[in-house]
Amino acid sequence: MIPREIRPRLNAVFQSVFDDSSIEIEDATTASDIAQWDSLTHINLILAIERSFAVRFTTREVRALKTVGDLIVLIQHKTP
Amino acid sequence: MISSQAAARRLDQLDYFDLLREAKKSAEMTPNKIIRLAILADFSTQSLAPILKALCARHGVGLEIYEAAFDSIDIEVIDPTSELYKFKPHYVAIIMTTQQLRGKIYAAGSRKDFAESATRHLVELWSRIAERSSAQLVQATFVLPAERAFGNYEVKVPHSVGAIIADLNHGIIDAARQAGNVLICDTDFIAAEAGRQKWFDDRLWILSKALCSFDAMPRFGRSLTDIILAADGRAVKCVALDLDGTLWGGTIGDDGLESIRLGELDDGEAFVEFQHFLLELKRRGIILAVVSKNERHHALLPFQKHPDMVLKEEDIAVFIANWENKADNIKTVRRILNIGFDSIVFLDDNPFERGLVRELLPDVIVPELPDDPSLFLSTLADLALFETTSYSQADENRVAQYRQEAARHELSNEFSDIDSYLVSLDMTMKVERFSEFNLPRIVQLMQRSNQFNLTTRRYSESACTKLMCDPDYYTLTMSLKDKFGDSGLISIIILKMSDAVVIDEFLMSCRVLKRGVEAFAMNAIFELARQRGSHSVVGSYLPTPKNGMVRDFYPGFGFARVEETLHGETTWRMDVEAYSPLPHHINSWPLGEISNDPS
Repeated sequence: MIPREIRPRLNAVFQSVFDDSSIEIEDATTASDIAQWDSLTHINLILAIERSFAVRFTTREVRALKTVGDLIVLIQHKTP
Repeated sequence: MISSQAAARRLDQLDYFDLLREAKKSAEMTPNKIIRLAILADFSTQSLAPILKALCARHGVGLEIYEAAFDSIDIEVIDPTSELYKFKPHYVAIIMTTQQLRGKIYAAGSRKDFAESATRHLVELWSRIAERSSAQLVQATFVLPAERAFGNYEVKVPHSVGAIIADLNHGIIDAARQAGNVLICDTDFIAAEAGRQKWFDDRLWILSKALCSFDAMPRFGRSLTDIILAADGRAVKCVALDLDGTLWGGTIGDDGLESIRLGELDDGEAFVEFQHFLLELKRRGIILAVVSKNERHHALLPFQKHPDMVLKEEDIAVFIANWENKADNIKTVRRILNIGFDSIVFLDDNPFERGLVRELLPDVIVPELPDDPSLFLSTLADLALFETTSYSQADENRVAQYRQEAARHELSNEFSDIDSYLVSLDMTMKVERFSEFNLPRIVQLMQRSNQFNLTTRRYSESACTKLMCDPDYYTLTMSLKDKFGDSGLISIIILKMSDAVVIDEFLMSCRVLKRGVEAFAMNAIFELARQRGSHSVVGSYLPTPKNGMVRDFYPGFGFARVEETLHGETTWRMDVEAYSPLPHHINSWPLGEISNDPS
């Protein structure tokens, strides 16, 4: 998948997990930009993304994720 | 919105992410009951808590959870001033993970006696909690690890990780059998149901120290909330059964005794197995009822004559076979048994009948049954409908009692005058204090009675034991028998002795309504107050969604209202002088101080 396809779907997952339809993600978005993005929601988010894109991240990849941009790159590598 | 009670229990309706959203919404609802649960755990409880809240909210219960700090079990329990005790929990759940335990086994100098000392440590924690709190304890078992260093040989080696954890589980269960006041949440069974490999999620453990995979968490949550709801009196009490196509294959009225499929004929073995499980349920106290569209003599025929029939006529408490609609017949069953619709499971192979009952009686639990009867058992297993938190020998006799009740109904039709009928019953009441002997039945009745229950306090076994030893409290049980049989322990009264005699709890089994038990009991309470020199008797009514029938209990005896709170709780008082003993037809079986019954 290319970033243009990934982004809207990823945005939908964010809106669903944070239960907030006003969320608009950008590459530079980090946990500090979204109020409810704590360590538990982070895990929920990762698992919801894996489910939506049918991918699986390694433990290290999850740990290393900092920005939405990182996520998009990772998804891009893991999807056909 | 989930359309039915049974559907709401299906695991495909229990998705972790859906439940998280439900939990958020449930925060806005007004619960009809609050339950406080403290979770003591060695994992991070953050992801479990909302699941439990959402599942309780489906039953109208607001669950308040105290999540002890990560891995702080011992400190919370040992420190008498800890937040755990300040929270005043109704339930304390101790849940520990295989991962943390395994770490301790790896680190242990010697593995000899590891399981024994770990069991002793837990039992010590239980008794500390029981000393400082009247909360009901729920202890979770450990999940056997998915990996085995020895393969199948693991269980043969006493110091293997798998063997130690299995021994520890046995130790916990043995200790819980002895302790009486500890319920078991069998996590190992739940994990096995989900599949051990699917239970453990090592990445999730490393990242967030969650109990188990998010896919398995709703299953665990359902089990833990079921225990709590059952302990709170919300458990299945009756299974109402269709006959044709459900207990045997074919139609008895059309096919006849020789041609129904039961036993070796065709798929008949599946029905035999199904009946065996139903008989097990009956043995443990679930009431079986029949609701069948049939001529009564046809419906009874297999019960009386078929050699492969497992269930017999005397196993069925209420047997209804007619051509009325099944919702009306279930209403009759409910009326005879005096239980709530939400404690009835209706099993019928016919989708029309299931739909009708769901539509007309939405609180009745109506599972989808598959076409193939060999799948009935696994379908029920998947829904995990039958939770209980107590068991006593009296459970086995319950059907006999309901059948006696039916016989009493028949006799009462012969008497136009209720008094002469009650006299003819030749009733005798045994009044006793709480004792170790009757404690299991006391705790069970406290959990079960919802309707004739003035304050619905639901004391746990350990709380009852405390009351027994407390000189300020006077605990009473009443057991009734008549010429039809022994109804057993049917009423519990807890009195607090201060200047006045305060009725802390007064509950009665609805099976003995309208027989004069209330008058007998109130006479006894006032007699006791008189003997003690108390000037008055005080009682309260705490309304719940189910105890409306006793709203006017105290004014009915002539008590005057002294207080009413915003929540509808009322307090009533009556002077001992003003009370004149009420007439009834119950002979007392005298015991202790309340020997001189005035009537």
